[in-house]
Amino acid sequence: MKFLLRRVGFYLVAAWASLTLAFFVPRLMPGDPAHALYARFHGKLGPEAIESLSKALGLSHDPLWKQYFGYLGHVLRGDLGVSVSYFPAPVIDVIGVALGWTVLLTGFAVILSFIVGTLLGVYASWKRNGALDRIAPPLLTFLSAFPYFWLAMVALFVGGLTLHLFPLRHAYADYIAPSFSGEFLWSVAGHAFLPAATVVIATLGGWMLGMRSTMVAVMGEDYITLAHAKGLTPNRVMFRYAARNALLPNVTSFGMALGFVLSGSLLTEIIFSYPGQGYLLFQAVRSLDYPLLQGLFLTITFAVLGANFLVDVVYVWLDPRAR
Amino acid sequence: MRLSRGDLLFVSVVSALAGLAFAIVASSCAPRRQAAEEGVLQVSETEQTESFIRNFNPLLEVGDVRWAAKNSMYEPMLIHNPIKGVYVPWLAESYRWEDTKLIFALRHEVLWSDGQPFRARDVVFTFELLKKFDALDTRGVWRFLAGVRAVDDFTVEVSFRRSYVPGLFFIGQQPIVPEHIWKDVADPVSFTNENPVATGPFTEVAWFRTQAYQVNRNPHYWQKGKPAVQSLRFIALPGNDQSVLAMINGELDWAGDFVPAIDRVYVAKDPEHYHYWFPLIDGMVMLYTNTSEPPYDDERVRKAISMAIDRELVVEVAMHGYSKPADGTGLNEGYEKYRSPEAVARGASWVKYDLGAASALLDTVGLKKGADGWRRKPDGSVWEVNVNCPAGWTDWVRAAQAIARGLQKAGIHATLRAYDYNTWFDKVQNGDFDLTVGWTEPGPTPYGLYRNLMSTETKKPKGQASAENWHRYGSLEADVLLARLEQTLDPAEEMRLTYELEMLFATHAPAIPLFPGPLWGQYDSNRFEGFPDKDNPYAPLSPHNSPQPLLVLPELRPR
Amino acid sequence: MRGLLADRRARIGFLLLGVSLAIAFIGSLFVHDPSDLVAKPLMPPSAAHWLGTTGQGQDVLAQTIAGARASLTVGFLVGFLVVAIGAVIGTIAGYFGGWVDDVLSLIVNVFLVMPGLPLMVVIAAYLPPGPGTIGFVLVLTGWAWTARVIRSQALALRERDFVHAAVVSGESHWRIILWEILPNMSSLLASSFIGAAIYAIGAEVGLEFLGLGDVSQVTWGTNLFWSANDSALVTGSWWTFVPTGLAIAAVGFALALLSNALDELGNPRLRGEDDFIKRLRGYGLRAGGATPVLRRTPGGAVESTVATSTARAEAPNGVARVPGEPGKKGETRVQP
Repeated sequence: MKFLLRRVGFYLVAAWASLTLAFFVPRLMPGDPAHALYARFHGKLGPEAIESLSKALGLSHDPLWKQYFGYLGHVLRGDLGVSVSYFPAPVIDVIGVALGWTVLLTGFAVILSFIVGTLLGVYASWKRNGALDRIAPPLLTFLSAFPYFWLAMVALFVGGLTLHLFPLRHAYADYIAPSFSGEFLWSVAGHAFLPAATVVIATLGGWMLGMRSTMVAVMGEDYITLAHAKGLTPNRVMFRYAARNALLPNVTSFGMALGFVLSGSLLTEIIFSYPGQGYLLFQAVRSLDYPLLQGLFLTITFAVLGANFLVDVVYVWLDPRAR
Repeated sequence: MRLSRGDLLFVSVVSALAGLAFAIVASSCAPRRQAAEEGVLQVSETEQTESFIRNFNPLLEVGDVRWAAKNSMYEPMLIHNPIKGVYVPWLAESYRWEDTKLIFALRHEVLWSDGQPFRARDVVFTFELLKKFDALDTRGVWRFLAGVRAVDDFTVEVSFRRSYVPGLFFIGQQPIVPEHIWKDVADPVSFTNENPVATGPFTEVAWFRTQAYQVNRNPHYWQKGKPAVQSLRFIALPGNDQSVLAMINGELDWAGDFVPAIDRVYVAKDPEHYHYWFPLIDGMVMLYTNTSEPPYDDERVRKAISMAIDRELVVEVAMHGYSKPADGTGLNEGYEKYRSPEAVARGASWVKYDLGAASALLDTVGLKKGADGWRRKPDGSVWEVNVNCPAGWTDWVRAAQAIARGLQKAGIHATLRAYDYNTWFDKVQNGDFDLTVGWTEPGPTPYGLYRNLMSTETKKPKGQASAENWHRYGSLEADVLLARLEQTLDPAEEMRLTYELEMLFATHAPAIPLFPGPLWGQYDSNRFEGFPDKDNPYAPLSPHNSPQPLLVLPELRPR
Repeated sequence: MRGLLADRRARIGFLLLGVSLAIAFIGSLFVHDPSDLVAKPLMPPSAAHWLGTTGQGQDVLAQTIAGARASLTVGFLVGFLVVAIGAVIGTIAGYFGGWVDDVLSLIVNVFLVMPGLPLMVVIAAYLPPGPGTIGFVLVLTGWAWTARVIRSQALALRERDFVHAAVVSGESHWRIILWEILPNMSSLLASSFIGAAIYAIGAEVGLEFLGLGDVSQVTWGTNLFWSANDSALVTGSWWTFVPTGLAIAAVGFALALLSNALDELGNPRLRGEDDFIKRLRGYGLRAGGATPVLRRTPGGAVESTVATSTARAEAPNGVARVPGEPGKKGETRVQP
């Protein structure tokens, strides 16, 4: 319990650090949202527009520290402000839907990759130098060596453009209204297939190798030998004893990976034009949309911290020594 | 060899993925063309964005307003047609000047989409809104307006503070909103107008989702029998590539995007129906020099730099050959009727690619090559030249790269500097640059162009940020001409004054014109016809310059 | 090192890496200037231009090679810095313990938990573009992981007898760290370096692909950026992005092989097991659930034997006999 409380304390510090960074970094650099918007119009607006743009966006001229504390106050009250590039939509609305899609796509892909990769690692280590152990690791390592957005480009090129098998953009077909109908769900699955597949392929190797190496280390332990000696079936030894203990370090990695679901999806979403929040982040950076940027950082940070906390809880449950 | 469980798992995972893929393919059986239903025209949205917010406020220039608001819902009194060079009477059937007053006679038959009549009070109310909430007055019209009043139900009198003929453009093209709805809106700046009431051809929002939305025709539209198209549909396309893919797939009937190698990439896929038209009437792309810093204050240096640029190469590399080299007047092809042959002749020498002449001129000025081949300033140090451009605008980056390389051939130590565009814009406004690629604003006449290029009124002193006239050049002679242009209504006088401005520009080269900007436009005639193109140039094809698409929408009809 | 090279994977890895480096640094002498416009844009591979031309008419082969030079330099440099910083902080935290450890661990954990890619994007967007910025951003977001790993190792090492002995004999802390602890982490440091280099190359390519690097320079990342911006997908110009991707994968794969081999080097048990399993397979047996016992022969090599009482191997039929090897404990009975 004390362990968990200490962790919570740490998370609060980390959250504050992240939010502070999100506040200061964009503001330290030249330009402001009004100028960014003006520049985006490529000369179609007259220069008097900048004045009125600043007014519309409610850009503050207060000193920086005052803005900072105001911002912290708002965050604590749950008010994330109004987006600049999507003016006048509130930041929460802009992030809301995008968040859902990112979690669906990348979350599902990461979980799938973890489960399959871990199982593969268990089997590979059990039958050392078997066919699986000799082929899968180098193959998967090679696939992981590609930058995963490159894999995404290839997948889109081959699957979408050349073979016309998969849709080229969006989370679901444009002519379908969102509902819980089979048609809609099937469309969602079809649109998520390629992006999820690239994430899975790119990360499978890592999980497999990680699990394999911890399994090998664990299998050399005495209690495994004892389990064999006692006559337990290989299956039981493999899963109940070896895998369960080998899983621990990988659960920590998984927690971190889960937390980074929200942040790592950026490149995949850009390639596949998937309406997640990775692309939103990129847009916010480009248009100096401070409120949106801060809002996105907030959600990502909380997701990471939340996932880490979840992992800590699971760890405590899995490993009696930590209690 | 027996398969282990692990092998089986691996194989089964792979087969499952393959099976899933096959199932999706078999069930969706995506045809190559994925057009919408009959009668639904698919149009490209202005904002390249990945998701839509339901905002149809036509008065807002900031944030994220849907294309439909200013291009199919709300209409202005006049629409300037840059292809024909005239103002098309729209909600106003005519206008006239009376000293410093502009009188509009409105059409009688116009109704709002809720059936209410359109009257002069709606126009007055709109302009009063701009006055009250200057965040909406992005053109700054109240800097030169004294007042707007309704003489009667169908006549609007706009009073100027001083004679300012160019103001017609902004007054005439202001989208008009209904007083009976908007008078109850507390804050029109943040009002998203989700269920718009407007006068335009398409006003009824059929449905709205984050990835797509559809707008149906206005049953009360004042052009009887039009539009022939039932609905407009828009899908969220976050980038150029996606736009092009949608065009190829038949998901976009009308678009206005840059397409590389368009004959091969787009037209070849369906030569009978896929068309494009890129008239060179968008803003001239310029290379600005910082004339507030030596040696760019010397016009010979500017001309020499211009002569070291191979514009043909730049156009080929940066624009895929869609444009052509500019001449010495700085005018794009939308101003053909204003082009002065004498000015063209005067400027011909310094827009021609001539490395020898460039070198000779630079030598004359005193920027001679040193032993290492790089030109040196009079104090002996190497003359470093930075060519700035925004990193994200890849066509400009390519142009800047070609320019920098060309300058190097003339012995100028030129380096390309591509900055994140906020940084780039900041530098440009603060005069913190040597050379930069930049835009010019297209307008109904060259007045705006030359004002920005040569007027002392737009020239800010060093140290002050300047939103226009980044090259900080001002000429008193130009001032005189521009002041007279603001007041004259006589076309002959206007032409004469413009000719003189062109001569000034061609003589002194305040900025270096590169190539006129193409106005992108593509259309797919599989399901609809009536689009303008070079054989039928009744309006611009581009859907991206509100309110010009209003000229096209009523002319489209299903095949 | 000899042990490392004995591993086939490590040999392949070294070979691949060596070839890549050679091409990167020497190959550039044999090709065009990568930023020169040599031909019409977007031409497919041909005899004149083996990998075709880019969207601006530059030679793809020249660009891939030039890109290798830039990206590998940044990648390895960042890898080195990450390990250096991580080693310093990790060792200090692990060795001194107490409040020093608490403070440093807090900092390390905060950095670990901050979302890396968004932070990288935000910072890189606002600093002047170039390899310096990219390098700075990568080091800033990457050092924490190495620090944590090294800290655990330092913690473990600190409890070892030889360290206690050094402390008791009055060696200063810094000498202990430099001469006792760090040398014993050499394989961990090496594999951390490789891991950091892999991460650096990948992240650098990602950031530059987004356009956050200096787009006028030729690197792998900017090659991919330009490929996308010159509409590779739409025009079907696969040759503008496939070679760079393959090159990145080749180097990444080589480094990964080396890293795996290094891991096993640091864990003799793994190698011994491999050795044991290979032997059994040579006799048509399959190993499962056995514990080999490792021994160092007088010659210094590690070899495995099988402890009689715990051996269990599957044989296709009945009992098999594994002939004993010279110097071993003798024959062993194997039963199904």
